[in-house]
Amino acid sequence: MGSTLVSAIGFGVVLASIIAIAAMGFTIQFGLTNVLNLSFGAVMTFAAFAAYLANRHGVGGWSGLGVGGAAGAALTLALGRGVFRPYARRGAHLFEMMMVTLGLSLIVNYAIQALSHNNIYQFVVLPSTPLHLGSILITHTQLIIVFIAIGVLIALISLLQLTKVGKALRAMAADPDLARACGIRTGRIVVLTWLLSGFLCGLAGVVYIINAQSVGYTTGQLFLPLVVAAAILGGAGSPLGAVAASLMMGIVTEIVAAFGSEAYSTVAGFGILVVVLLSRPGAVRGGETGHTQLTL
Amino acid sequence: MSLLAAHDVVVAYGGVRAVNGVSLELAAGESLGLIGPNGAGKSSFLAALGGQVRLTAGSIALDGEEVGGMPPYKRARRGITRTFQMTSEFAKMTAFENLVTAGHGAEGASLRNVVVRRRRTRAAERAVAARAWSVLDRFEMAHVADLYGAELSGGQRRLVEIMRCLMREPKVLLLDEPMVGVAPHLVDKLLADLRSIRDDGIALVIVEHALEVVQELCERVVVMALGRPIAAGTFDEVVSEPEVQAAYVG
Amino acid sequence: MTAWSYYIATLTVYFGVNVLSALSLNLQFGFAGVVNFGYILFQAVGAYIAAVVVLGPSSAFQQYVFGARLPFGVALLLATLAGAVLSLLIGLFSLRNIRRDYQAAILLIISLMATQVVQGYVPLFNGSNGVTGVPRPLSSVPLSLQGYQWAYAGWVLLVAALAYALVTWLSRSPWGRALRALRDQEDAAAAIGLNVTALRLQVFVIGGALAGLSGGLLVEYIGAWSPDAWGYAETFVIFTALFVGGIGNYRGAVLGVLLVPIIFLELPRFLPQVGYPGLMDSMEWIAIGAIWMLCLYIRPQGIVPERRNRAARTAAADARPARESVEVA
Repeated sequence: MGSTLVSAIGFGVVLASIIAIAAMGFTIQFGLTNVLNLSFGAVMTFAAFAAYLANRHGVGGWSGLGVGGAAGAALTLALGRGVFRPYARRGAHLFEMMMVTLGLSLIVNYAIQALSHNNIYQFVVLPSTPLHLGSILITHTQLIIVFIAIGVLIALISLLQLTKVGKALRAMAADPDLARACGIRTGRIVVLTWLLSGFLCGLAGVVYIINAQSVGYTTGQLFLPLVVAAAILGGAGSPLGAVAASLMMGIVTEIVAAFGSEAYSTVAGFGILVVVLLSRPGAVRGGETGHTQLTL
Repeated sequence: MSLLAAHDVVVAYGGVRAVNGVSLELAAGESLGLIGPNGAGKSSFLAALGGQVRLTAGSIALDGEEVGGMPPYKRARRGITRTFQMTSEFAKMTAFENLVTAGHGAEGASLRNVVVRRRRTRAAERAVAARAWSVLDRFEMAHVADLYGAELSGGQRRLVEIMRCLMREPKVLLLDEPMVGVAPHLVDKLLADLRSIRDDGIALVIVEHALEVVQELCERVVVMALGRPIAAGTFDEVVSEPEVQAAYVG
Repeated sequence: MTAWSYYIATLTVYFGVNVLSALSLNLQFGFAGVVNFGYILFQAVGAYIAAVVVLGPSSAFQQYVFGARLPFGVALLLATLAGAVLSLLIGLFSLRNIRRDYQAAILLIISLMATQVVQGYVPLFNGSNGVTGVPRPLSSVPLSLQGYQWAYAGWVLLVAALAYALVTWLSRSPWGRALRALRDQEDAAAAIGLNVTALRLQVFVIGGALAGLSGGLLVEYIGAWSPDAWGYAETFVIFTALFVGGIGNYRGAVLGVLLVPIIFLELPRFLPQVGYPGLMDSMEWIAIGAIWMLCLYIRPQGIVPERRNRAARTAAADARPARESVEVA
């Protein structure tokens, strides 16, 4: 019992790391745009497949991360400028934008399904040599994933707190009109946000399939609720909050899976998201970030 | 007993006390003006009376009954109605429908009445329609009856909003800056209309920046600044007080 | 000829059922501003309940709760009730004043959770395999197979027409007007005495009842029901139909249902097979997504425009607004 718990926590930390990378990407985007971007999962899947294809053409295991990140960044920027911005210009409010992201996720997910012939592909790219840390059974690769997540967190916090660009981003997230009035090049910041959150999204997608060792068209979509829950629970725009919430989500999910069953851990994850959405103080009109205007 | 009695009302948003201990009594049929510089808390106090914001502290009683904890719809059923700073006419309904909706209120609109008591509902529909026409006629607005709310001018929208309140046969009408968005040539008409409503015996609480309106309409005026009342009396009394002048200028 | 006849009859049944779904969603979205992305769950609960109360007791072959052999009419009533009760339960906590997009996401997630629970907990409704062998209503009546299908199609159309009449009548009533008011200006509606929460809940429950009814009708025709039949994406098809036809607009809803699930989704069947099997299905979903986004871009109101209610005045004592054949929503 005790060792099951500890081992579940171990798995939970690994899962949390994967969630965290995606949640940090989501929260950066959400903090600025305030839009519930449900196509985030589709972008993850896209990046995952990009890494898979790169791998088929000889790109090594960990380099796939770069490929996936780049793919995620590129697609997110394209969608942000090519899809979200025109809709926002036509006067779409938060709710309509969510509907747009839903439609987009349908298109991207099923396009990927079509292109992948609705198959699941193996992605056994990195060795799974197990390590024993007490009663925690973890692989080398999984440990590296945890460190990647920590690295991303540190890099992100440094970016936001220490660099000029990061400060501009935080200013825009807090009050876009004021930021613009202060001379911050808001257009550039928005582009940066797309690229950064897209990169993290892609990175998370690749990390996910490295861990799961397979990729299919539903990869990102099944993962999305955990990511959204962590991001919103952790507070819009807060990487540290996202990581803390991811830890909670990851560990709870694995504990339920260990003591209950796989299906119930999914239900638990969903349930947490529902509770988060219902109970966030930002859930009343005005939204999480306080501004109802769309910054796109 | 006064009609409406507010006692030590406090409304706080986050850490800010928009209304910081306001006590006020309104007699039946009395017309009260609430004036003061921007940020004085007048609209927040009005919202506290109407129920749109929650009371942080204090009490509000209507005809002796404590209503401070009640949501707006319950207060409306007991006789408190209001207009909003931005006119709140139902834009996708005609002016006539705006009035009829208010005329039915919750009783007439209840599912049970509509499904089970059909004959009574039909009779009610006719009665409410007749009343709506008479209200439209009284305010010389019958010609816009079929225009959608969105198609009306600012002054017309305000009037529709007010007429809608009247369909409720209220005891108290709270008006939040009624002259906002009303073209100058309509202000006189609106003023006359409000005077006629006051003369009908409906108590009015008016938040206004246009002081001539307050002077014309209100028997009593309360001046607020920084969340508290700083003067009360008739318009002339209040306007000549040094604190009031200081609050506006300083 | 029989194959065609079977196909058209089945299509008609689906049309009727989809009309019920569209009416339900239209009520909930058009009137209460609730975006029920979890709609399919309420149809599913109606189908399951209708199935288990006619299948007889649970057995080794398939496990499920309840289990009785009730007449099909009662089964339909219970299905409707199930939809209503589930909506009441879910509505009580999810209809509060939260961001619309969060609310929509919550309802979607609830339907996803339900799928997981039903698949995971087999004794509930036989898990992923679902229930089968639901006897057809009035099988004792001597009709050919073809005749029976057409009779059932007619029955479903009748129910759909009755539901349409009911819903439009309700919309025209003072109750419907109150709902349009709350949709328009919620604060002002409350300020004239309308209990916004209660009204929304009523709409949600009525919508849920229609959903349950649609599920019951469907399962009594198909004879089986499993999680495959109620994937979350089905809801989007109906929503797309509503967008195309016009939100809040009942005539438009029927038109939308005809255009999208029936014509648009069935058309590919007649096109030559392209690519690998199953490619067509993916393409259909992509197309649905594209139509969805197109509608959002072009006309959020849909194709069929709303019509104005004119107030005619006769004698003051009998002043009754004249209603032409109105689209009231």
